[in-house]
This record gives sequence, C-alpha cells and structure tokens, in this order.
Amino acid sequence: MTQYGPAITRLIDEFEKLPGIGRKSAERLAHHTLRCSNAEAFALADAIRQVKLAVRSCSVCFNLTEKPVCDICADSRRDHRVICVVEQPRDMMAIEAAGVFPGVYHILQGRISPLEGIGPDKLTIEPLMRRIRADGVREIVMATNPTLEGDGTSLYLSNLLEGQPVKITRLARGIASGSVLEIANKEMLADAMSGRQAF
Amino acid sequence: MSLEKTEGLVIRQADFSESSRVVTFFTREFGKVAVIAKGAKRLKSSFEVALDLLTTCGIVFIRKSSSALDILTEAKLQQRFKPRSGDLRSLYCGYFVAELLDGLSEEYDPHPHLYDEAQATLTAFAADGPLELGLLRFELIVLREIGQLPNFHECVVCGELAVADLSFDFKVSQGGLVCRECQGEQSYASPDRIQAGSLAVLHCLESETESAWQRLVPSPIQFKEIRSAVTAAISHALGHRPRMLNFLKF
Repeated sequence: MTQYGPAITRLIDEFEKLPGIGRKSAERLAHHTLRCSNAEAFALADAIRQVKLAVRSCSVCFNLTEKPVCDICADSRRDHRVICVVEQPRDMMAIEAAGVFPGVYHILQGRISPLEGIGPDKLTIEPLMRRIRADGVREIVMATNPTLEGDGTSLYLSNLLEGQPVKITRLARGIASGSVLEIANKEMLADAMSGRQAF
Repeated sequence: MSLEKTEGLVIRQADFSESSRVVTFFTREFGKVAVIAKGAKRLKSSFEVALDLLTTCGIVFIRKSSSALDILTEAKLQQRFKPRSGDLRSLYCGYFVAELLDGLSEEYDPHPHLYDEAQATLTAFAADGPLELGLLRFELIVLREIGQLPNFHECVVCGELAVADLSFDFKVSQGGLVCRECQGEQSYASPDRIQAGSLAVLHCLESETESAWQRLVPSPIQFKEIRSAVTAAISHALGHRPRMLNFLKF
C-alpha cells in the first residue's frame, strides 16, 4: 500500500540509498525535509549538486579537491620526496589530523582484493609509479590498513618497487600508548616484539 | 534461536553498514556460517582484530531459526594467516583456499576433515610447504569432500584401468577419464589428453597419505596437464573459473 505521493516516495527511496539509512530513518529525513523552510531544503540540494560538480580527484595524489591539484600537493613547504601511501582519502585525513607527517600522500582508491575482483589495475598504482620515477622520491611510507588485504597491497607495491632507489617503510604496529601489556592480545605483542627499537 | 560456540576460519567479509560487517566463517562443527558482526568496524569493538580474512578465531553466535543472518556476539583471535615474507604467491594461494571454501561449501553442512585440511594447507603456505602442489592437493580434497571428485583411475565409459602404457582424455562433463577406444578418432588431436605419468602424480596427490606427495617433482608438462584437469573440475563445480587463477597465473 502506497501511503505517500510519488514525490515523497522518491525522496524516501533516495535517502534510503545512503549508507546506514533504513526505511524508517529515510522516512524521518523526508519528513524533516518537508518541515524545514524552502531555503534550508534548497541549500541541502544545492550542496549535494555543488559537491558532485566541483569535487574531483587531485591530478597528482588522487585526494579529493576542488582544484586541479590539492592543497597538500601544492604546498611547497612539504617534503615532496616522501610519499605516504594510503587506501582512501579518509585515511589521509586521519594522518593529517595527527599533524605528524611532513611529506605528501598518494591515495590508492582502494586495496587489492582478488576475492572481490579488485586487482592492481583498478587502483592508482601506475600513476604512483610514474610519480616515483619523475619526482626523485626517496621514501615511500606504506600506510595501508594492517589487514591481510592491506598488507597484501603493500607487499605488491614493495615487490613492484624492488630495484628502485627508494626506501620503503611501513607504519609501526603493536601496543597502543597508554594501554597495558596484560590486556594486549598475542598478535599485538608479537608485532611489538618484532618491531622493537633501540632505547 | 540458540547460542553456538565453535572455532572458525574467516573466508569472506563485506561491509554491511558504517560500523557492521557480514563475515563468513568456515567452521569445524557447522560448515559455512554467515553472521552479522555489529560494530565490528569500531575501534573498541568486542571482536578486536579477530575478523580479518583467513584468521582463525573462537566464535560465539546466535543462530537464527529464520532466514535472517546469524548474529556474532564474540570472536577471539586464535591464529592469523601470515604469508611468507615478501612472497605474494603464498598470500594468493591462501586467498584461493578461501575462495574454494566459500564457493564449494554449503551453510550448515559440516566437513570436519576439510576444515582440518584447510588449516594444515594454510599453515604449509605460511611456512615452506610446496605452493602449487599443496594447492592442487587441497583442490582434490575439496572435490572429494563435496562428492565431485572426477574418476582419475579408470575409463568412465568402459572401466579400463588407468595403467602406465595407456593415455586417456580427461572429460569433466563425463566425470573423469575416457580411454582412446571410447573416445574414437577425435582423441588423437584432443587438448584434454593426460599422460600416464601425470595420472600417477595425480593419484599420489589425491591419496590420503600425508608425506609422499611432498616429495613429488612433476615435470612442467605433467604439472600443466594436472593443473588443466583440476581447474576444469573446480570450474565445473563452481560454475565459473576461480578468480584467484587470474592472479596466480599457473
């Protein structure tokens, strides 16, 4: 039984496509949209339109940007010879928020996931290789997620870079600062032990 | 609804929402089980790091009586699959094990022997076991467990035994070997030919004895013939060519 007219049903259907939104939540959002002023609703519609029209991938690092080259790649104060490789823009933003990395980034736009049909050709690996060859890069920091597929993607890249005059590092892993040893699982302890450093 | 406790190998996972995942386990007691792991992507999730691909963990889940997904309530890491250092092929062989278990097993159809063999195969892939032969042996074990192992011992038409002085064609559509007599004229130019030496290697691989197959050193032609026959049988059972073969490039 259809309770709403076609326009409201369409709006509910569109909201329902958003991640984490079920039918009930979609109905709530639709009712909110109907209740709010025209200016507020059109501002939302315009923001969605603008973001789809204006935002693109940076031509250098594939970060999200509204310019041909993103602010990080355009920043001459950054060390352009150190590239941190991440899976997606949100990973890059997390590292940026920590404010500890002075280099630049490269976003792979995913990870190699053969079981889901995602091979190296679906990622931005070829542009990364061109960048490394052209820009005289001295270090690649692998910051893919510490999962089997994330590590597999890093392994693929490091095999590809074998023989190139570039240092390959990866993020440290193990016990988080502030935690206690007795609750750390054996995986964390093994990583921490194998990656121990001189004091 | 009932609460179940078992040990399982993660063979597939997919994002379900912002914080939840659908995880498919291959378990010893229940066979394949797909569960929803609510909040699995949160940093302080109760599943910690146990839900990575090819991880073995102890799990507790609520089994639904309806067709809805079972709900994972607890997962504790037991062992993580670690491919050999710098060796992408051992990682891809591990993925292939997951693909076979996911594609060729049914939910709540337990195969304890297959579970043990999967664990042993992954352990060998992580250590220094032979990759190509280990994978072939595992494929044959899977086919036997699901009742789709072709007949590699005699002609499926006349029953002629596969002996050293005879060569056969392998016809997956007919369920195994077909001798020259039964194939007729067309057999002489057949691309499905499998030589007696290759069959001997196959027989050793599919035998249950643990150690003999590890000493096998098949020639490139023998390996090619065996790989072709086993790939045909696996593709037939799956209904498509396995994805991982595009990455392994045998």
